[in-house]
Amino acid sequence: MKTIVITGTRKGIGKSLADHYLAEGWQVAGCSRGESSINHANYRHFSLDVSDEVGVVGMARALKGDFGRVDALLNNAGIASMNHALLMPAETVNRILSTNVTGTFLFCREMAKLMRSSKAGRIVNFTTVAHPLNLEGEAIYAASKAAVESLTRILARELADLGTTVNAIGPTPIDTDLIRGVPEEKMNALIQRQAIQRMGEVHDVINAVDFYLRPESNFITGQVLYLGGVT
Amino acid sequence: MPAIPEIEALVIESVRMLAEDFEVEVLKKPNRESLLYGEGGPLDSMALVNLIADVEEAVSEKFGASIALADERAMSAKKSPFRCVASLSEAIAERMPS
Repeated sequence: MKTIVITGTRKGIGKSLADHYLAEGWQVAGCSRGESSINHANYRHFSLDVSDEVGVVGMARALKGDFGRVDALLNNAGIASMNHALLMPAETVNRILSTNVTGTFLFCREMAKLMRSSKAGRIVNFTTVAHPLNLEGEAIYAASKAAVESLTRILARELADLGTTVNAIGPTPIDTDLIRGVPEEKMNALIQRQAIQRMGEVHDVINAVDFYLRPESNFITGQVLYLGGVT
Repeated sequence: MPAIPEIEALVIESVRMLAEDFEVEVLKKPNRESLLYGEGGPLDSMALVNLIADVEEAVSEKFGASIALADERAMSAKKSPFRCVASLSEAIAERMPS
């Protein structure tokens, strides 16, 4: 049975991804700051903050003991906080960078070690269309995801010799908690900038992730795929 | 803290396993003098990265300590701790919690 690690599985896209890969017969290891919301024989939950190095290393060690290796990682956990730059507190800046950048990096580092033996690891990071669209009010969130994209491209090169691919997906807005605070007119204006003008759905994300995870995708790495026709 | 010979034994075993994986003939029977990386050392940078990851993992499993070998001290050291088995073992000992 293949093992996939998914961060941020308590709700939203992360939970849907976990449900999907459990249904597909994967062993799923998930994490969130809180308790698990998934009850399945093949699901193992870790309560941790993705930016806590000790916690992430501990999770990796536990996975090595239980499953021996990890086949795929979906770095889904992320936070956003919409605010004008003139009003953005440094504490919020640090919190966003810590979760989105440090958290993504720590999981890449630790899980890539557990992918070495299979020589066919798959890492999928999560970015956002807020970066290419230069969305006002999302300066720090978009900047954190720009860092994730850079991380994706460089790790793709560093991990290529180990047979691990590293790619990213950039969803459009999807109806989850992450965008609940965004005013409707802002959301509509954003969707107008997409080639395909509709809200994203979780199955759009799953479809792209499935593509990256396929064994046949072993020649695809360092790529960022935006949904909705955003470029 | 484990004694130096115990740490050296752990490093030697990690080097031996890596040499099998990476097919590095001269390191298939390593000892404390075996050169690893740098002038005269047989490992390339990717093999060294793998060795360090393996050794950190082995230290955690065997001694229950989480250490980082490629830290700023190692990067700025005049004599690289990754030069040979003995220097790598010393670097581990220096980073073990007391």
